[in-house]
Amino acid sequence: MKKTLMILFLIALLSLLPFFVGKYILYMTIHILLLSLFALGFNLLFGYTGLLSFGQAGFYGVGAYACAKILLVVPSLLLGILGGVAVAGLVSLLLGLLSIRHTRIYFSMLTLCFGMMIFSLAWKWRDMTGGDDGLVGIPRAPLEIPGLFRINMAAMESYYYVVLVFSILAIFIFYRLVNSPLGLTLQGIRDSETRAACVGISVRNYRLISFTIAGLYAGLAGALLPPLENTVTPPVAHWSHSAEPVLATLLGGIYTFAGPIVGSFLFYIIKDIIVRFTEYWLICLGIIVLVLVLGFRGGVVSIFSQKGDR
Amino acid sequence: MKEIIRTEGLGKYFGELAAVHEVNFTLREGIFTSIIGPNGAGKTTLVNLLSGYLLPDRGKIFFRETDITKVRPDQRVKLGISRSFQIMNIFPRLSVFQNILLPVLSRRNENFRPFSALKGHKEAVEETEKILQEVWLGEERDLPAGKLSHGDQRLLELGIALATNPQLCFLDEPSSGMNPIERVKVLELVKKLSSERKTTFAIVEHDMDVVFSLSDWIVVMNRGEILAEGKPEDIRSNQEVRDIYLGEEI
Repeated sequence: MKKTLMILFLIALLSLLPFFVGKYILYMTIHILLLSLFALGFNLLFGYTGLLSFGQAGFYGVGAYACAKILLVVPSLLLGILGGVAVAGLVSLLLGLLSIRHTRIYFSMLTLCFGMMIFSLAWKWRDMTGGDDGLVGIPRAPLEIPGLFRINMAAMESYYYVVLVFSILAIFIFYRLVNSPLGLTLQGIRDSETRAACVGISVRNYRLISFTIAGLYAGLAGALLPPLENTVTPPVAHWSHSAEPVLATLLGGIYTFAGPIVGSFLFYIIKDIIVRFTEYWLICLGIIVLVLVLGFRGGVVSIFSQKGDR
Repeated sequence: MKEIIRTEGLGKYFGELAAVHEVNFTLREGIFTSIIGPNGAGKTTLVNLLSGYLLPDRGKIFFRETDITKVRPDQRVKLGISRSFQIMNIFPRLSVFQNILLPVLSRRNENFRPFSALKGHKEAVEETEKILQEVWLGEERDLPAGKLSHGDQRLLELGIALATNPQLCFLDEPSSGMNPIERVKVLELVKKLSSERKTTFAIVEHDMDVVFSLSDWIVVMNRGEILAEGKPEDIRSNQEVRDIYLGEEI
């Protein structure tokens, strides 16, 4: 009950945010939501399935570029976002078929390679991606279902609500998923793949499912970016961008549902505060993550729930 | 008694080492079988081959007359073959309850339900509670499995193996690391379950007192081969078996 009330309060607070804050805070909140989705997908692989991927930015990039290309041709926000998610899901399914045959460092290196291949495509395939200039002039097209409704998205406040609704839906689906038999199965594979196989679970199939869902979440986060920024450039697919959900998840907590969301919030807050004092904000962030990893392996969430692994 | 599993010329080699060599043996339905032998005899490798954890280099395995030599471990579980491990192998971060629920859901083909709540699987939950009682872990149900005592973790392993409702269950040293009292208790539980359930048990065990008191049939391995097999009294009087145990009283 207490938890439900807290969630409802948080949703109400986020819904009313545009009435109280300026454009910058709103812009930052959108980025926090995008990183939350990105990190949730990453954590399904890492925290729930035990696979550390360094290539999630690749799927984020695929989602972003696919959405941008669609919006440049057909000015429909819904089509752009859903198209971006679908393409990212398809790519992650295909690359997942090759990646999930391996585990541990081999899996991590494979995902890093595939991620960088996507980055290279974004960088070199100038005709399709605009090369290092990226794609520019992406419209924040109206949200419409022909014959039903049409909402203008010119104002950032309007787009904020689109991101918020997609985020709430995606987080709700994620919550149901990790608390379902599928979620339990993934956690079993994380704990012991040999034991999981010896209770009748097809480990590879479930890893592929997890990989694809993680790709869909990265794709969703990526697809929501171009309408905000009106541009998309290759660094969104770079491996260093894959580190953001890793850091956010470590900050918030690996084995908790809320960890990546809390971590994403902290990541942007820390970044925003430290960057005002020094351009070397990543060093400070690194130290904070180090302290958390060494002292509170369960992340910030575990400190409050007192379930952290010390 | 009908045969449940049979091997023909089974072999597994690690370089020059013949871990299992030319093994031909049959397990029969409802017969409590123990596989014994000195360290390095190939007992665990044999269980690994029969459960699909390892693929043989030679020979064939038949489960109820069906060739399962190349069948994956998860598919063998679906056919009715289950096992526990010599080195503890549970799901340490999951609760005791979830450790049992997971194989129950797997057997019922209810794993891929991405949006249904676990509580909604009432029959699976009831079955899980029943198994927890069977292996004396009802009171520990909400504890993380990794926090259980060694003896309780062994019981949990047994519970996990049973939760797939197997026709044939291999238990690899189910009482290792336990004190003598716990050991007898666990093995008596296994014997009790074998008579109550329609499961054929085959255990790998070092405690000869327990082996000879519980088993209907004993298979003795040495250097990757089957040295002898027979009823406990026959094995007890077998000179070759006595020799490999260095004259120990068995």
